[in-house]
Amino acid sequence: MKAVIFNGAKEGDLTIKAVEKEIANQLIKEGWEVEPLELRDMRIANCTGCFGCWVKTPGICVIDDDGRETTRKAFQSDLLVWLSPVTFGGYSSDLKKALDRIIPILLPYFQMYHGQIHHEMRYKKYPKLLVIGVQEPGVNYEETFIALAERNMLNFRPPAHAASVFQRDENPETIPAFVDEQLKKTEVIS
Amino acid sequence: MSQPRNVLLLIGSPRIQRSNSYVIGKFLAEKLEEKGLVSEEAFTTRLVNTHEGTEKLLDSVDSADVIVLATPLYVDSFPSPTIKALELIHEHRKAASPKKPQLFVTIINSGFPEKEHMDIAIKILQNFAEASSFTWGGGIRVGWGMALNGEPLSEKKGMTRKLTRGLTLASVNLSTGQPTSEEAEELASALFVPLFLAKIMTRLFGKREWNKLAKENDADTKMYDRPYELNRQVGTESTSQGKTETHKKADLQDNQENWRTI
Repeated sequence: MKAVIFNGAKEGDLTIKAVEKEIANQLIKEGWEVEPLELRDMRIANCTGCFGCWVKTPGICVIDDDGRETTRKAFQSDLLVWLSPVTFGGYSSDLKKALDRIIPILLPYFQMYHGQIHHEMRYKKYPKLLVIGVQEPGVNYEETFIALAERNMLNFRPPAHAASVFQRDENPETIPAFVDEQLKKTEVIS
Repeated sequence: MSQPRNVLLLIGSPRIQRSNSYVIGKFLAEKLEEKGLVSEEAFTTRLVNTHEGTEKLLDSVDSADVIVLATPLYVDSFPSPTIKALELIHEHRKAASPKKPQLFVTIINSGFPEKEHMDIAIKILQNFAEASSFTWGGGIRVGWGMALNGEPLSEKKGMTRKLTRGLTLASVNLSTGQPTSEEAEELASALFVPLFLAKIMTRLFGKREWNKLAKENDADTKMYDRPYELNRQVGTESTSQGKTETHKKADLQDNQENWRTI
């Protein structure tokens, strides 16, 4: 089983790094292969909104850079993890630059899903998805962050998912228990 | 807030002037110009990746009395450069407190007909505005972007009547230093046909339009390709049909994949 971690942290974010390492350690113990991707260091151009991934080379972004590879690796994993500082209730720009490039795994066509129009799915099976945000003290964007992740789930429809927020001022010694809980919710460990 | 004099139209779409974000934001900026405000345009994708661009962005934000962010919905929030702009503006304003009250207004547009798709994105922008010492000027949600097609609103006539009336109303509010009224937001966010009809038309005409674009690129027979399916452990459908050279290259890369552990 393979896991890919999209790390959308800024340089020097020790909390997110600790969460990433703990996820990897727990999965490796269970026999998983894990590939963390430090997105800020990767050559990922911004999505240009050209729709080429839908109408020129369907399923593959027309930009040949690391962004194409992150999408391929993400889709071909069994578990995809998104890590991000909670940014006003959303994701960081570094995480989002990879997510903006992931749309070729969907079709351009529209369908009704849960009472709303969404894109049709290109594939039959998608990886499980775990979304974790790390929130600064003094703000409370948790509800917005979880709501955003849940909306993403309507679009990517993973077979299992979890979304949660870890407080940056929490004791780092609680990270293993937090990660254990999230991996169980995502149904990748029992 | 005193009478605003300057408005910054900040475009969050990578499609720049060809975007729905631009034509909608431009309409509002022109209405504000008619009321005596001076407007300036800036594009996040052109500014956030260089030091000079960032300086220009921050100077423009500092100077404006009203900031209108017009941006598309990308994966339930905004394009990455728009988020980068928010991060930069927030850091800047944390370091140096703003010298005057400023309104931050947002217009989000999406290809989906339901405006509810944009609710979370609006909330994120509201959080940003409050955290960055702006006065929240309101959020307009424009659904069914395929009907606009990046063309000036004045040329769309009946299709944009509610949108243009709502934006005009919003300009009256903003020109006097007030946030957009609920009435203006509701009007500008309303579709020109009933929602059920928009949903049907989205599926019918949407498919036709995508297929037309694909045909222009000689890709219409490949629309359902699954180029990344090969290495999946659970995958039952054939992937060999309609493969392009690009896909074959991607398949080769699949086979050369080198996983590592930490």
